[in-house]
Amino acid sequence: MLQPFFQWMGGLPFSQFFLESVWPTPIIQCIHLIAVSVFAGALLIVDLRLLGRGLTSSSIPKLAAAAQPWLVWSFVVLFLSGMPQMMSTALKEYYSPFFWWKMEMVALGLIVTFVVRKVIASKEEGHFGPVWPKVVGITSISLWTSVTIGARLIGLLS
Amino acid sequence: MIRTLFEFVDALPSSLAWRESLNGYVYLLTAHVVSMGLVAGVISYWDMRLAGMALKWIPVSKVQSGLFPWLFAGTAVNAGTGIMMVYSQPMRYYPNFWFWLKMGMLVVVAANAAYFHLSIEKTVEQWENDPVAPLKARLAGYVSLAFWAGVIVTGRMTAYSGLVPQWWIDLGLSN
Repeated sequence: MLQPFFQWMGGLPFSQFFLESVWPTPIIQCIHLIAVSVFAGALLIVDLRLLGRGLTSSSIPKLAAAAQPWLVWSFVVLFLSGMPQMMSTALKEYYSPFFWWKMEMVALGLIVTFVVRKVIASKEEGHFGPVWPKVVGITSISLWTSVTIGARLIGLLS
Repeated sequence: MIRTLFEFVDALPSSLAWRESLNGYVYLLTAHVVSMGLVAGVISYWDMRLAGMALKWIPVSKVQSGLFPWLFAGTAVNAGTGIMMVYSQPMRYYPNFWFWLKMGMLVVVAANAAYFHLSIEKTVEQWENDPVAPLKARLAGYVSLAFWAGVIVTGRMTAYSGLVPQWWIDLGLSN
């Protein structure tokens, strides 16, 4: 059903420019990877704290509030730098099972991180009991690790 | 001498086995990228604390004790997979401009960390609660942030071995 849409996307002049030019793709990939690192840091310091590890000398809400802008803005950069890469190889992505795996994990990751975890991390330790913060922390880490694995395998195995 | 070493490794049966493995390199590269997220993510918060950009309310020693076990674990996986990637395809990496630039940046990162540990850190008790660290510590943070970003960029660019300066091609390392 989405195949015509991906075909149309791949045929756009913007997509062709990225596909045929030498430098734009590596430059945008480097920006994407820097954003991955910023996102991973902002995600991990809170997830580890939910697991009772990492920066235990800080309260969870304070840490989560400090990490939130880095998390949001790095995701914006990830999205903006990911789009040209996806558009320039649209049909390759469409036919790659790893692309769809990545997108499913991104959707779940966004819900867990920006909805569920936001609620859990807004309250002091103990408010939700000892288990739920840990479940959310490990789920968040697992989902975003899956996103990274899926992303890498698009390039390697598709 | 370096070329001889790379050629020696290239000829080893275990290097050949990794090189000819169907998915060995795929697993190594994937683990390298995932552990990069851990290393770069954690080190960036340590550097930003030193640079006065984040976590200003947490004492420096607490940031260190909270994050460094994860940094060391991530570095072990990241360095291990990185070494194995070179071990499996040494003659692919030997003539690669970006690979050597990345190695140079890793040397700067290591030297900066050693300088911090052997010099600036010795007075950490005097300033660890200050929201903004002394100039030398801030500089160490900025240098580390910049060069880790460089390590990531050059690491990605390793895949683009053809996009290099002409003077590097003229060296004829691929021959």
